[in-house]
This record gives sequence, structure tokens and C-alpha cells, in this order.
Amino acid sequence: MKLVIDEKRCKGCNLCTSVCPYRIFKPGKKPNKRGILVPELDRPERCANCRLQKLYGRTLCGMCQLTCPDQAIRWEEERPNERRKVAIEY
Amino acid sequence: MSYFDWFREDRLPTIYCAGCGNGTVINCTLSAIDEVGWKREETVFVSGIGCSSRASGYIAADSLHTTHGRALAFATGVKLANPDLNIVVFTGDGDLAAIGGNHFIHACRRNIDLTVVCMNNQIYGMTGGQGSPTTPRGALSTTTPYGAAEQPFDLAELAIAAGANYVSRWTSYHVKELTKSVRAGLETPGFSMIEVMTQCPTNYGRRNKFKQVADQIEYMKTHAMLRKKYDTLLEKGEPIPEGAIVIGEFARRSRPAMGVRRAA
Repeated sequence: MKLVIDEKRCKGCNLCTSVCPYRIFKPGKKPNKRGILVPELDRPERCANCRLQKLYGRTLCGMCQLTCPDQAIRWEEERPNERRKVAIEY
Repeated sequence: MSYFDWFREDRLPTIYCAGCGNGTVINCTLSAIDEVGWKREETVFVSGIGCSSRASGYIAADSLHTTHGRALAFATGVKLANPDLNIVVFTGDGDLAAIGGNHFIHACRRNIDLTVVCMNNQIYGMTGGQGSPTTPRGALSTTTPYGAAEQPFDLAELAIAAGANYVSRWTSYHVKELTKSVRAGLETPGFSMIEVMTQCPTNYGRRNKFKQVADQIEYMKTHAMLRKKYDTLLEKGEPIPEGAIVIGEFARRSRPAMGVRRAA
């Protein structure tokens, strides 16, 4: 599963940055078309729900989704062989 | 199947300000309803007037957007006309405590099988930030420019005194607990009242030293105090920290209820 922020709904309140236990959301820096600073994702593959939702068959943490007042956060199915950014931690 | 199916996707995004807590409360309520497994055609959402009461318009189920303060009166009518319907009332503090105060205490007294989710943002947000009955003492608003001089209503205690079956209070920071509490309220026969303290960054926050949206959430996080701890502090006679928000489950009892669904 993949974490997605809907740019059409997000109003840039940055509540997700303060509730995520993994600190995946970072305050955005570049305004989008509507002039809203949509939060950026920092290595979203760390999210427990992204990794383990399929295995457990239920939403695991879901704090960001429940807290988001604008219903902008959701998880999407990944397409097979989708390109992803890989960061090496050392 | 998730609670997102309950939203009217064509109406989103909501008209709420950035960082408004009402969206969070809608998420939690719908999540609880989804867990309980109510059917869409057997659920009615009733709301009055105010920011919080716009919630019913974003939900893909039958809804009534009624006159100011009379949400509970309409909900009583719906429930008694057809006890098979499940009814959730969205209401705000101005709606429930100010103009609908008597409807509220009498709905508690009659113990009608409703679930009331009261989004208490401590101010009249939609009309420009006037002081409401739940504005804390000393808080600034457009009608109390030198600080509110009166003591605020404690809606949860009021509901207990008036005889509601299930009463709890949470904040919009405690989303998981709030979801559980709403679920308990939905499953309780009789009147269940869930008071949710929400942030209002536009009209309450910016006048009361919460410049950023996250500041008020941080305040709820640090100042929330469980009911149990509050009771022990009272027993020991120790001072209660200033500005503490007492949260938790306040009452769960089984008084005879009105309008409960007929047995099969």
C-alpha cells in the first residue's frame, strides 16, 4: 500500500505532521497551484499501515487519516513494478 | 470497505477553515458507525445550525439540517415516528447549550435512544467569534473583549445530572479514544452524549494565544486529564492545574430508555 495526500482536498493545516508517530509528514515548502503548502512525505515506506495492512487485514495505525480534517490522506494500492525512490540510511 | 464510503465525495473538500477540528470528529464518528455496521438506509443524521452542524451535509445518508438549537427536537420526532432508525445528532456548543439548552436537558430526561456528538469549540465560530455559554472564563471573543466574565457550562456534567445513559468527553486530539467512545455511545440504548473539545483556529485560537493550528492541539494534548486522575486529585485535596480539560467516560448506566428499537 502507498500513502497518498490528495492535493485537491488538503488545506495545509499541518496537523498530520504533529500526530504521525513515525514523523513521515514534513511541513511543505513549495505552494501548489492553489497556493497551499501541502506536507511532504519523508520516506513513507516506514509507515506501519503501508507495510502491514495487507498482512493483518485491517488499518493498523491510521492516526493521520482519522486526524486529517479534510479527508485528504488515504492509502492506495501500488501498481506492480512501480518506480519508487530509495534512500540508503547509513 | 472503510468509513470513506460514507462521505459524499462530490461535496468534499469541506468548507471548514484549515485545521478545523470538526472534520476530525466527522471522521471518528463515521469510523465508529462503520465498525458497528449500521446500514446507510437505516441511519439518519440530524444537525442544527453552526459550523459543526454542516457535517450532516457531507454524509451520504438521510439527513436533516434543522433550525437553530432544535436538532434534538427534530431527532426526537424522527426516532419516535420510526424507532427502527438509528439516529446520530451532530451539534455544536452554541446549538446545544445556548439556544437548544432546554431541548437538551429534556432529551436527557426522556432518555431517548439518540447519539449526540457535540463539537464544543467554545465559541460561535460561524457568525464571527461571539462568546458562547462554554467560552472559558477569561477567554477573549468579539463579545467579551476584556475576557469572559462568566463561568462556562460543563455540558458533560449537565447531561449526567439530567439523566443521560452514556456521557463522555474527549478532545479532537484523542481520535482513537473518541472513536471507541462514539462506538460505545452508538451501542448504548438510551441517550448518549459525547462531548468533543475541538479547536477553532480562526475565531478562538487567534484571539487566545494559539497562533498556529497545532498550538491548540498541543494544548489539548498537554492539558487533558483523565477523569480518574481528576477524582484522585479532588479526594486528596490537591490543587487541580489551571486550564485542565477533564476527559474520559463520565457515566454509563442503564436507565429505562425511550424509543428503543423493537425486538426483531
